[in-house]
Amino acid sequence: MSLTETSPGPSASPPAGSPPSTGAPVWRWTVLAGPMVTAAVLAALAGTSLTAAEAVPAIMLPGPVVEYGLPVVRVLLDLAALAVVGLSLLPKLLGWRDPDRTEPVMRRVRPVAVTAAWIWAVCAFTAVVFHAAELNPGAFPTPGSIASYVNDVGAGQGLVISGACALAYAAVGLLAVRFGEKVPAELRIVVALFGLLPIPVTGHAVDSVWHDPIMISMELHVMGAAAWTGGLAVTVLYLARRRDLLAEVLPRFSRLATVCLLLVSASGVITGLATLALTPGVELPGAILTSSYGLLGVAKVACVAVLIPLAAHIRYRLLPRIERQQATALVGWVAVELTVMGVAYGIAVVLSRAPVG
Amino acid sequence: MRRLLTVLLLACAALTTVAAPAQAHNVLVGSDPEKNAKLSRWPSKVTLEFDQPARRGFSQVTVTGPGGVRFDQGKPSTSGVKVTAELKAPGPAGSYVIGYRILSSDGHPVTGKITFTLDASEGGDAVTVPVDEPAATATLQSRQADGGELSAQATEAAQNGGAGMAVVWIAGALVLLGGATVVAMRRSAPRDSTQLSDKPSDKPSDK
Repeated sequence: MSLTETSPGPSASPPAGSPPSTGAPVWRWTVLAGPMVTAAVLAALAGTSLTAAEAVPAIMLPGPVVEYGLPVVRVLLDLAALAVVGLSLLPKLLGWRDPDRTEPVMRRVRPVAVTAAWIWAVCAFTAVVFHAAELNPGAFPTPGSIASYVNDVGAGQGLVISGACALAYAAVGLLAVRFGEKVPAELRIVVALFGLLPIPVTGHAVDSVWHDPIMISMELHVMGAAAWTGGLAVTVLYLARRRDLLAEVLPRFSRLATVCLLLVSASGVITGLATLALTPGVELPGAILTSSYGLLGVAKVACVAVLIPLAAHIRYRLLPRIERQQATALVGWVAVELTVMGVAYGIAVVLSRAPVG
Repeated sequence: MRRLLTVLLLACAALTTVAAPAQAHNVLVGSDPEKNAKLSRWPSKVTLEFDQPARRGFSQVTVTGPGGVRFDQGKPSTSGVKVTAELKAPGPAGSYVIGYRILSSDGHPVTGKITFTLDASEGGDAVTVPVDEPAATATLQSRQADGGELSAQATEAAQNGGAGMAVVWIAGALVLLGGATVVAMRRSAPRDSTQLSDKPSDKPSDK
């Protein structure tokens, strides 16, 4: 085997017919992550401008930097977190029985997971600063105002805990970079998913006996979305050209994705409707189409409605051919699916902050 | 996988029970004067009532009359679900806007406005209210007025070792992890290139 620039070397030993590639080339990052991140940021910005608080005479509102910067930071946080979750799920999806084939992939994945965890942590702490600035319009956030925000407001504590989990993940991830799969994949998955849990605290809450069930439904929603989106993105990013591995991993992921699709849809509808129903002054059937909260929820349902045929196409048309290790247009279809998921993530950030009533 | 899910669900339940004080998104449920009310007497103060207590120290309430003249004075007082703002001398007949921005108990700022109309009556045409003090100074003043309350919270926080200590811990962890990242990446890079016979620049670039 000649050692050209694209050769993965002897340890990868791909079977004949499969193009040798262990990493995710730049073009695949561009095709898959590019549109998704762009769509998420644009959706967050568009949603923010549509739900912008109407001008109130003589009330100081935060400037445009805070108003638009905060959702962007929040959506980048979510994307970094889903990347960490997806990158953590990959070793579980790959299995550990054939390290000769999977280890070259994992050696590329582990440092990327650490970097994504860093981005997550930085976004979380930046978001705290933006939140503090949002509460003190017209004044630059000082360490004092940030500290009092974290002390007084649960959302601040949630973000700090989430950022701390991201840092803990970076530490565990570094151990994994050094010691490989001796660091259990489950540990990384648990730390990554646990880091997602404090974030729904920054969303809406209702004051009722249903508070805790709604919170748990919300947590499941966030974890399901991250596992679904992150798993899909990472699987295709790193395995699209490894047909031998893709033939084993994608069916496994497909089962996980089906569970996630059901979980995310059900928990999303339940949380949204319950939040509307339990907010005083909201009349239910009408509020879905009249309040900005309801409309954003409808937009997310529309995203799922677009995702289902896309996912079904990959599951029922492409997957049988992938299992036979045939060439498919998987990357293109997944790029479209990820873009729609990015839109849903962008809307989600706006939804979590939009006035309910 | 099942064990994993169990652990996560337990963690999830633990977290919600720990971090679940009655937090909710505040909604304006009433006000005095009421929304779109037609008043014949000048109200000496306006009161906004929310379904949930508003957080102290962050409330802004303004009352703007005809011609953009401000009629609120001092900083609004927040007690429980009610936020009250004192008004200046009676204004002329016309329509008034009460604007508010409060910090909801779930940490979201809630902004809104309601209008009321004052019929020509006792009010004076002799309104000599200084025009429009800039909103910035108003917030600044209210912030200074909040100072006592905030510093009380700060001392309380210091006693608990609150955010200050957290910042120290986080900063320490950041330095430690940052160093470790650099070292580990340095070490893993040559290993990669020797084992994979790959050029180092081929490493996946981050988004």
